[in-house]
Amino acid sequence: MQPLDIETFKPRLKTLGKEQAWAIHSAALEILAKTGFKMEHPKVLEMLQGAGCTVENENWVTMPAYVAEEAIKSAPKQYALYDQQGNKTMPLTNDNFFYGTGSDTIFTHDLETRKRRRTVIKDTGNFARIVDALPNMDFSMSMGNPTDVPIENIYVHAFAEMIRNSNKPISFIADSGKDMKKIYDMACLVAGGEDEFQKKPFILNYSEVISPLKFPENVMEKLVFCAEKKIPICLPSGCNAGGGGPITLAGAMALGIAENLAGLVIHQLAGKGSPFLFAPNVSVLDMKHTVVSYGCTEWSLTQAALADMRDEIYQIPIWSFAGATDSKVIDAQAGAEGMLSIITSMLSRCNIIHDVGYIEFGNASSLEMLVMADELVGMSRFFTEGIPVNKETLALDIIERVAKGPEGSMFLSDPHTFEHFKTAHFLPELMDRARYESWEKKGKKDLAMRCNEKARRLLKEHKVIPKSKEVETGIDKILNTK
Amino acid sequence: MFDYQQLIDSLIKGEKEIVNNLVKQAVDEGLSAKDVLDNGLIAGMNVVGDKMEAGDMFIPEVLMAAQIMGEGVNFLKPLLRDDQSAAKGKVIIGTVKGDLHDIGKNLVAMMCEGSGLEVINLGVDIAPEQFADAAKENNADIVCLSALLTTTMPQMKKTIEAIKDNGLNNRVKVLIGGAPVTQAFADEIGADAFAADAGSAAKKANQLLSVSA
Ligand code: B12
Repeated sequence: MQPLDIETFKPRLKTLGKEQAWAIHSAALEILAKTGFKMEHPKVLEMLQGAGCTVENENWVTMPAYVAEEAIKSAPKQYALYDQQGNKTMPLTNDNFFYGTGSDTIFTHDLETRKRRRTVIKDTGNFARIVDALPNMDFSMSMGNPTDVPIENIYVHAFAEMIRNSNKPISFIADSGKDMKKIYDMACLVAGGEDEFQKKPFILNYSEVISPLKFPENVMEKLVFCAEKKIPICLPSGCNAGGGGPITLAGAMALGIAENLAGLVIHQLAGKGSPFLFAPNVSVLDMKHTVVSYGCTEWSLTQAALADMRDEIYQIPIWSFAGATDSKVIDAQAGAEGMLSIITSMLSRCNIIHDVGYIEFGNASSLEMLVMADELVGMSRFFTEGIPVNKETLALDIIERVAKGPEGSMFLSDPHTFEHFKTAHFLPELMDRARYESWEKKGKKDLAMRCNEKARRLLKEHKVIPKSKEVETGIDKILNTK
Repeated sequence: MFDYQQLIDSLIKGEKEIVNNLVKQAVDEGLSAKDVLDNGLIAGMNVVGDKMEAGDMFIPEVLMAAQIMGEGVNFLKPLLRDDQSAAKGKVIIGTVKGDLHDIGKNLVAMMCEGSGLEVINLGVDIAPEQFADAAKENNADIVCLSALLTTTMPQMKKTIEAIKDNGLNNRVKVLIGGAPVTQAFADEIGADAFAADAGSAAKKANQLLSVSA
């Protein structure tokens, strides 16, 4: 047989045709040019006017298509996030995908009591710590709205807690420009100064504008700050089909894209070439319970379509969601919904994928869900790597050796197996494949319980590389300044 | 005899033309506007509310019914006696200061309207004094506060204080809701009631009225 040198095809999902992609893009541009949007930040209003937009009725802006097209052009198509020790762990290039948690849940499921309760600052620490430990989780978000820190400083405290409990990159929330400044100061402290931070940024901001087509002043403050400081930012708008946007997915996407493009224009005007994440999150408002779903099939579909639009038109890295559920407990629904969004976000090559570990449509968080999702990402990653085809993997010699071998020959005991079994298959840890008797003997534990045990073990055993004394006292000082 | 059941069924099914015709027919047959309103439209919307809570109806169907009811109310309004009002009570609603979420609040407003209340929707980012002023000016029976953010929940307490400071607390009831809000929080800040979703919000609002009446 000839030596083989075949490239491995990596499975890819495509959900949108070229014509569809351009039609949605044109619709978004038309929304900006004809309907326009409300801009509540006076300085940004001036900036937009200077760039060729028209302002009517004080703050209603319409934007010609070329202005948006220019911003798409100047936004960087590739950039990287680093971890807190300066390693380039999240290069946003070449179809790379990265998973992490979400922010701001109101409740969490206590690992010990397994009951739903309000979140405290320690929960933010615990989630960050487990993200730090899990191989398939790449970045942290707060995962909680702690009730035991001063409410006007909630986001600054959450950020400090993530710093203390992990070294992975952080996607943070801020309430205002004031929060933003404190968080930036902390980040520079961790990086060893502003220059070092600029070389190796490890944070990104998550802010939201308001569907339909409203741009509040404090959000614009954050957007401009990030643009000026080159902190990557994503700016979804809650354009959920039937809620913030029209009931039909194409229209909701067009509106979400329009809002993102307007945000991108402002961002590029404030800091040309600064890193931006494209992020029109388009889920659905459930028509019975009026909740915005985090487990629906539609959100997986729209973000896969958006990834196609990135490939076709924008090229800018995209922000998306996965590994979340609407279920109230870690059950079959949680597993099914979690896996649907994880595998589709990966197959469509979404880039930064958050909300892993959300349950109850984002009202609550679960360490069990996070630990389970880590394994689902592992399974999906194996799938997405495809099937390497070469001499070693075709294993013709081995087939002959075993087939023609003496009685008792089998693949299982062949050296080829010994050499490859750890990489040729995905080796699950939490998915149970035990025979009935041994499963029974181990206490008949379901997946949720196994996840619970793993989470508890990680909390106990995982060591986070500590920050220096200097950083720790510096952080405390920033926390205590008014 | 006029068949109210048919009117109620058509309202639930969202049959606009039929409802409009039946409302007219009822008045033509000599029934009082108040009677048609109470035993037809509002009775129908009560069933809609129950069905919604039981998960037997989709929200757009509920809102469709509410809109059809609104048309009926508009037709009946001029026919009411001077001492009768189309609305059972007046509700002020808004999202508290610093909070810009409005979909849930708007839905609560529509459901309250659908249950026969007059609703004045102040919008989002509403300061405590604005709520108090609006309640005073409009002679409101209930003030509904919405907050979706943990960081804006304290504004609910401040608003209740503002209502008290304006001496309105004997007359005006406060109903609160939104994702982070719980009954325990409502008790803690001295709100009169809490509801978890729009259907039960409308019900609670009506209960608050009957308690104070
Ligand atoms: C859509 C959405 C948005 C949209 C809102 C668009 C709009 N026009 O309203 C946008 C994108 C703007 C947004 C912004 C933000 N959001 Co938001 N948002 C949501 C989301 C996904 C859905 C909310 C919604 O519309 N639900 C549908 C409606 C129908 O339901 P509802 O609002 O819950 O209302 C029902 C009940 O609560 C109740 N109810 C509501 N009001 C009232 C009032 C009364 C009197 C009564 C009785 C009942 C009642 O009845 C309603 C109908 O059944 C939720 C998560 C979720 N899945 O719920 C997060 C969520 C509420 N947002 C959250 C956050 C953190 C934010 C931001 C801070 C994010 C950021 N980093 O910028 C900003 C804040 C902006 C601001 N200053 O207000 C958090 C809040 C956590 C917390 N408790 O603090 C949540 C829970 C998501 C999360 N887990 O992170 N958001």
